[in-house]
Amino acid sequence: MTSEPIQLNRRRFVALGAAALAAPALAACGSGGSGSAKAQKGGTLYILLNSPELDDPATSQSLGISIIHLLHRSLTTWDTSGGGQPKVIPDLATDTGTPSDGGKTWTYKLKPGLKFSNGQVIKAADVKYALERSFDPALSQGLGYHKTLLAGGDKYKGPYQGKQLDSIEVQGDDTLVFHLNRPYGDWPWIASMPAFAPVPKASDPNPHTYVNHQVTSGPYVLTQYQKNKQGVLIRNKHWDKKTAAPGTGKADKIVISLNLNPDVINQRLISDSGNDQYAYTNGASVSAALLPKVNGNPTAKSRMVVSPSGALAYLVMNNRKKPLDQLKVRQAINYAIDKQAYQVASGGSVIGGNIATTLIEPGLNGYQKYDPWNAPVNGDVAKAKALLKSAGVSGLKLTLIADSSGSGVEAKTQAIQESLRRVGITVTIKMMDENSYYDTITNGKGDYDLHISSWLADFPSALGAIQPLFASDQIGNGNFNTALYSNPAVDKLINAAMGETDAAKAAAAWTAIDKRIQQDAPVVPLIYSKNAYMHGSKVAGFTIGQFPPYPNTLTVGTAG
Amino acid sequence: MLRYIARRLIGMAVVLLITGAVTYVIFYWMPSDPARLSCGKPCTPETLHQVRAYMGLNQPIWEQYWHFLEGLVGGRSFGIGQAAAQCPAPCLGYSFHQSMPVRTMIGTAFPVTVSITVGAAALWLVFGVATGMISAVKRGTWWDRGATLLSLTGVATPTYLVGLLGILLLGFQWRLVPVNGYANFTDGIGPWASHLILPWAVLAFVNAAVYARLTRSQLLEVFGEDYITTARAKGLPERIVIGKHSLRAALTPIATMFGMDIGLLLGGAIITEKVFSMQGLGYLLLQGVGQLDLPVVVGVTLFSAFFVVAANLLVDILYGYLDPRVSLA
Repeated sequence: MTSEPIQLNRRRFVALGAAALAAPALAACGSGGSGSAKAQKGGTLYILLNSPELDDPATSQSLGISIIHLLHRSLTTWDTSGGGQPKVIPDLATDTGTPSDGGKTWTYKLKPGLKFSNGQVIKAADVKYALERSFDPALSQGLGYHKTLLAGGDKYKGPYQGKQLDSIEVQGDDTLVFHLNRPYGDWPWIASMPAFAPVPKASDPNPHTYVNHQVTSGPYVLTQYQKNKQGVLIRNKHWDKKTAAPGTGKADKIVISLNLNPDVINQRLISDSGNDQYAYTNGASVSAALLPKVNGNPTAKSRMVVSPSGALAYLVMNNRKKPLDQLKVRQAINYAIDKQAYQVASGGSVIGGNIATTLIEPGLNGYQKYDPWNAPVNGDVAKAKALLKSAGVSGLKLTLIADSSGSGVEAKTQAIQESLRRVGITVTIKMMDENSYYDTITNGKGDYDLHISSWLADFPSALGAIQPLFASDQIGNGNFNTALYSNPAVDKLINAAMGETDAAKAAAAWTAIDKRIQQDAPVVPLIYSKNAYMHGSKVAGFTIGQFPPYPNTLTVGTAG
Repeated sequence: MLRYIARRLIGMAVVLLITGAVTYVIFYWMPSDPARLSCGKPCTPETLHQVRAYMGLNQPIWEQYWHFLEGLVGGRSFGIGQAAAQCPAPCLGYSFHQSMPVRTMIGTAFPVTVSITVGAAALWLVFGVATGMISAVKRGTWWDRGATLLSLTGVATPTYLVGLLGILLLGFQWRLVPVNGYANFTDGIGPWASHLILPWAVLAFVNAAVYARLTRSQLLEVFGEDYITTARAKGLPERIVIGKHSLRAALTPIATMFGMDIGLLLGGAIITEKVFSMQGLGYLLLQGVGQLDLPVVVGVTLFSAFFVVAANLLVDILYGYLDPRVSLA
């Protein structure tokens, strides 16, 4: 429910890209990281956020490198160091999980000697309870992949009415066995999600207020918390660095300011005065209006970090609507789109994003660079026209719906409109308010021809990039197969790849599925959208890896 | 007089009931589904169904409104067992997004709104009326034209522009005031006022203009009345002619407008609160609409409507005192 890495599903399904920045000629510094100084131990860090509140682990949609994990450790965590693809590594558990029964059962053992911030020993039952409470309708807002996978999860309504979920089996004090309703190879990533952070039952008499007095397992505890204002994190005395992921828990104290105006956040970071020298944001991407100011100030410019890649922005075609239900028409649109024009409308290659040709974004296991169309970046008008002609389609009129609050939405939609005008397709742009827009695209009724979307996987696996957007059971109900794409053969392939527990084999399978789906041309990949974040001059270790396009908050420290 | 007030109070209740009903109907007709926003990711039909039931969205709209009215009198609870959310009477609704009763949220937000309103209103009333008086007395001079220019600038400039410019200059450039946020009155009068001075000034600048124009035209009208000519002919000093005889007569429409403006502002200064990152009622309403948080929207709307309606009544009663020609019956 916040808008750092972390947002409500619709926020992260960012209409028209997360980083819409207007100056194509910007020379951004240090793509990926800045500040050569190494993060030191100690000191106070300040995090400036536009989000109004901190989350309960059960209601959080945070990625594995987000603020919630300063407080809570899950069974596994993400290692985004090294610049390559992120790796899943053990956190509370001794390893990333042992599959059996062909990937339908996963077993974890907790590291010995782990303690909560209240001194209590962390037991397997605390993880089980934490997961169970995420099933209560009062705590339903979080990432819920586990809820769809744990056997019997569809019927379970949470522990507060006295029932347990039997598919989470506890053996002794330290062993957890998860029984899934299907083989699932990416369970180690799922086990990194916030709901897998232990919650001691005795400390949770009221799920509505747990967030205010949460018992933590991470490097910090929340000492003061005022919604809309701030949260103060100080060291958790019972956190043992030896059991934790490398590089975490550097600062002594972290002050999180909440609910700030995004422009104010960036102004403060540009000004870099007083405590703001120790401040950073992972929520307010630098806006187009502020870019000239950052560019005109060399020290500010050196403190802006641009992600190397990011969410896939893509043009969605309604695969069920005539004549978009014809493959040739969708292929024609794929040839017709001027991706470079879209890139310019998004802020250019340096800061807007790189041209996309795949469905899986860079940084995910399974990403392989390829281009099914081999068309120039400006599109291939002749081929598109020929395809339309052979499909017997002429004078085509399409409606593109868009979220009017999306950044740079006019320029982006016009780039699409202009692209298609070249091949004789007339596009009418229909702006909608944010809520109506999301409802229209996710209710499964398909009252549109085209819309532009942006998708970032919830975990660094190609599964997270493909299955939510292209599996046929993800149509409607607030889910995101908004192309209404349904191909039983592809469903079968997705199903098989989801069960693959060997990472290399799974990666190969997802690459093949990416290519297979693009043969059906349900969407047009546009760009991999970048994000740009500022930090103060005394902040170190502020880096953005291949995935996700956000700084790793767990390893940021002060520069002394 | 008492009968008049009783009649008006009944009228108030009816207006508030209708306001609440209309808010419910508008929300019901919107295409979006609040349960879908709270369903998590991914969202399954089973979870969606459970969330709908928990939020009470599976009931017909009239039943939802009826339960709301019941809650006002007797309190409500949502959900079953230990996880049930309690909303004691008078329950203005329960926000599932924020996991707290709407009344608690209003309780936190209202002092912010009152702080903004009181300071800003005092400023604009004093400056507006003073400017209007100068303009009227010195009609046609450079004073008058200067004041007119200033007023028109105020009327014509949007709050957010003045607000952001103020933050940029006074906050970032000269560092005279905090950039944004709100400090409680209990944190000390210094921090409280320093956080509020900019929003006060901005609201006063934007609003004072209208008061200046109104005061000017009212005074000029009164100046033409026979009794003012008489007062002058009697040799009364100009100070008394303007301050006592003219201004009092000109005050009635100003009081009307002032009452309505305060009533409106107590319902939340949406743009000002947004610009200065202050979490008053306006912010609450905006957030509620953005998150499809119907209970918050209904609660805040009714609370705000109450002030507008109450201000109306108060102004009408005040008329009797300000202008002896008006009698209430």
